[in-house]
Amino acid sequence: MNRKTFLRSAMALAIVGAMAGTTVVQAQGKQEPIRIGAIYLMSGSAAMYGKFAQQGIQQAIDEINAAGGVLGRPLQVLMEDSQGKAATAIQAARKLVYQDKADVLMGLDSSGVAQGLVPVLPELRKPFIITHAATPDVTGKLCNKYTYRVSVNVHQNMNSAAEVAVKTGKKRWTTIGPDYAFGHQSWEFFGKYLKEKMPDAELMKEVAFPRFGAEDFTPFIDNIMASKPDGVLISVWGGDMVNFVRQANNRGFFDQDFDVLFTVGAATEVLTALGEQLPEGVWVGTRYWYGAHDNELNKKFVADYKQRYNAPPSYNAEGAYVAVYAYKAAIEKAGKVDGDAIAAALKGLEITAPTGALKFREGDNQALIGPTWGKTGPMNAEDKIRSLTEMQTFDGQKITPPVDAECKL
Amino acid sequence: MGSLGLALLNSLDIGLLLFIIAVGLNIVFGVLNVINFAHGALYMLGAYLAFSCINGLGMPFWATLLIAPLGVAVLAVLVDRLMLRFVYQREVTDSLLLTFALLLILNESVRMVWGTGIHVVEPPELLRGTVTLPGGIRYPVYSLFVIFAGAVVLFGLWFLFNKTRAGKIMRAAALDRDMAQVLCINTRLVITGVFAFGAWLAALGGVVAAPMRAIDPGMGDKIIIESFIVVVIGGLGSFPGALLGAIVLGLIHGLGGRFLPEINLMLPFVGMAIVLLLKPHGLLGRRASL
Amino acid sequence: MLSHEKTMNDTPGTQASLPARAGRTGGSATLAWGAWLAAAVTLILLVILPWVAPYFYIFIATEVLILGLLAASFNLIFGYTGMLSFGHAAFFGVGSYAVAMLLQAYQWPLLACLLAAVVVATVLALVIGFFCVRLNEVYFAMLTLAFGMMVFSIAHQWRSVTNGSDGIAGFAVTSFGLGLDVQLGNPSVYYHVVLVIVMLAAALLYLICRSSFGLILRAIRQNPERVAFCGVNVRAYRLASFTVAGAFAGLAGGLMAPFLRIASPELLHWSMSAEPVLMTILGGSGYFLGPFVGAAMFVLLEAWITSMTQAWMLVLGIILAFMVMFFRRGLLGTILDWFQERK
Repeated sequence: MNRKTFLRSAMALAIVGAMAGTTVVQAQGKQEPIRIGAIYLMSGSAAMYGKFAQQGIQQAIDEINAAGGVLGRPLQVLMEDSQGKAATAIQAARKLVYQDKADVLMGLDSSGVAQGLVPVLPELRKPFIITHAATPDVTGKLCNKYTYRVSVNVHQNMNSAAEVAVKTGKKRWTTIGPDYAFGHQSWEFFGKYLKEKMPDAELMKEVAFPRFGAEDFTPFIDNIMASKPDGVLISVWGGDMVNFVRQANNRGFFDQDFDVLFTVGAATEVLTALGEQLPEGVWVGTRYWYGAHDNELNKKFVADYKQRYNAPPSYNAEGAYVAVYAYKAAIEKAGKVDGDAIAAALKGLEITAPTGALKFREGDNQALIGPTWGKTGPMNAEDKIRSLTEMQTFDGQKITPPVDAECKL
Repeated sequence: MGSLGLALLNSLDIGLLLFIIAVGLNIVFGVLNVINFAHGALYMLGAYLAFSCINGLGMPFWATLLIAPLGVAVLAVLVDRLMLRFVYQREVTDSLLLTFALLLILNESVRMVWGTGIHVVEPPELLRGTVTLPGGIRYPVYSLFVIFAGAVVLFGLWFLFNKTRAGKIMRAAALDRDMAQVLCINTRLVITGVFAFGAWLAALGGVVAAPMRAIDPGMGDKIIIESFIVVVIGGLGSFPGALLGAIVLGLIHGLGGRFLPEINLMLPFVGMAIVLLLKPHGLLGRRASL
Repeated sequence: MLSHEKTMNDTPGTQASLPARAGRTGGSATLAWGAWLAAAVTLILLVILPWVAPYFYIFIATEVLILGLLAASFNLIFGYTGMLSFGHAAFFGVGSYAVAMLLQAYQWPLLACLLAAVVVATVLALVIGFFCVRLNEVYFAMLTLAFGMMVFSIAHQWRSVTNGSDGIAGFAVTSFGLGLDVQLGNPSVYYHVVLVIVMLAAALLYLICRSSFGLILRAIRQNPERVAFCGVNVRAYRLASFTVAGAFAGLAGGLMAPFLRIASPELLHWSMSAEPVLMTILGGSGYFLGPFVGAAMFVLLEAWITSMTQAWMLVLGIILAFMVMFFRRGLLGTILDWFQERK
């Protein structure tokens, strides 16, 4: 064999070998941490949600580690960016489990991502707690024994929204929602629940579904205003909601006669960005409002969060916080750090959260919690966001519809 | 005025902003035969610099309008001297690829410096709020300013190309670079200058757009496709073509968004394809005068 | 203007890398021997990968193979026929959607789905290509970009058929076809399936490139006018090249859907079209295996760099810039050229 070709082959092999060899070396030792893999939106128009979730996670981890950890081991979080794409999230989940050796998983802001990722979870054999994505499918037709959700789903939220809509007495409703699962399902189920409660309600044909991440909402705003509704259900969220409200103000959207419901509008991420630009008198919903729960745990949680991060906790932060504690409880119940065991231990688990008692329903692994709805009121000077008036927190047991027949756990 | 009128006004607003941004792409292609894939990133950089100047340094909007594009132009000079000089003599596709690499670099740099979330810039005091137009429609003052700015840029460029020596040199170099060199016009200076000028225009568009749009790391990618559509429809390398293309695209967005929302995503590309198939050199034909 | 003159110096020529060219220099026999050895070693490594490398690398390798096939199909249009397409992802994505939809609705065996993917992609390539090959250079690139984005927009907005931006997910890959019982759900098994299919496809593509058809394509890249004067229908050959490339891209896309478990509009976006372009430049458009090398570079670099920092696009951009400026022939191209010049 020629020396040059031998050298070249050897060089090629060496390069390949070096690249293959740069896998993360595991920390060996008695105090090997329990790794939580977290997949959230860390970029794009809703990047704040992922950031606040991370803050919630970190607060929970610091508290737990200070108290001795779980089964004597500290917790550690590994964040991954879903970029709002299911394919990215699936690959991130594989990386977290196979390369970074994550023991448990959590996350997901986007319903579209959840729809793509949840069917893949049984292959990974690690439990996944969803803390934000609201599509009912993941506790419905896509449900599996590894997937749990601590946050409100579209059914619970739209059932409550319908209650609020009935209170306004308005009959003709339309919607502006993002053009993906969340937007469409919100409208679908709002319509269903509204009709049940108020049979003479009219669901208008003129609806608007701008693309998620669209910059220009003005054509949609103009269209909806021209169609003269009595009430508008708006499920636009994140950076889109910020853009939407600014542009809507320019068009005089909020000066019209119709009632406005923002389905997930009471997000501190959005309210902080908008400040006074979100007018008073619009209805906003959320799965968790920091000022709505008068118990010791919530007071401590909010106080600690404000001290750490100089802002009141958003619902995404609280959801992530709760999920970490849920894992703590489940791992301690299971007695070992094993994916299947923890997933089984989560079943029917009941813990105390800042919102009160929280239980995963056994039929579909959905937490029985109710959202909080309120009307925007005067600015809260200390927290620098709008306060909520006429607050109503719905009872999780009553507002959650029965287990979807398509879910067979 | 009615909804049609509003849609048309929107179209004008969108169109003239697009014109400010895209005309630089056309000028650079016309004179240098380079398709700057990173043109959108330069626009984005202008918007981010505006954000830093206004929100970070507290500069007034009008000063930012002058300073931020200059900063981007300086960067463009560096890019030209350090990177593009290697590909000017090669096929157009090489400059496409190199500027694409530049795009990746700029996108990530912006993410690293300013973070991955969105930023918001408020319009200056003078331009906030809305006015009521004849017909009872409320229209944002800032959008009217954008239309005004577009018109200013339009006339400024027309004046530059037709009445000034610099403009005539650029047109000469666009027509025949070798000949211009023979005539002792300093081609190197023209090349760098034109590229910087194109970048300056893109960044100017960014500063103008900043109070209207969400400033996020994806805005450059969105606008480069828009710019390509504009220059293709109007005619690669043609200055009046850029205006026509921008207005057409503005109309597609404004009217399509209002009346055909189910397929509005597709319409600009259909327009682009139709023009390329029927008149590949654009609606204004083969390289109408710069 | 300068752009319309053909610059012969820097245009990357395309040669078959293995076996040696119809012998010109004597030393090329040793080169051929070495090349075969390297290829054999690589093949063995690829086959035994699941047993020797960390588990995660199975996913990386599967991705490299699929994207390598995509890039190689792109290179048929770019390196061999000299046309820069910015819409190649349309065929890739359509292949993915075809497989995803068939699996979700009918649970066809995988081979049948892949066949359907190839057919659909071929038809689409024929239609799009028919319009595009009339144009040259930049205009061709722009039109392919426009068509690619049109397909993207349709997939994004046609919710009733394509499920819009959420894509098509939740399908299971159960049967393989041909009566073979293959556990496709196991990533290691799926990897080997992909390996076999990609190798067969690459071999077929290689034969096409080495044939007289490929020779004419290369001639068209270098000087279309002269080829036309020889009486060859340049446009027809370009269309054929475009269509064949689309077919192989569709196959790659078809393999991607079960791997990703989802077919979503991002697979059709122009940023996806840019990936085979990048990979081909990285590896080298001048040699058949260049795009595969480029795909490996791209995926491995991404995995390697993202484990250290988030700024992987920055590194990629810098490397790409260097390649275009100084190493226009790509990694494989530069290495092989260097060896050949030494003889």
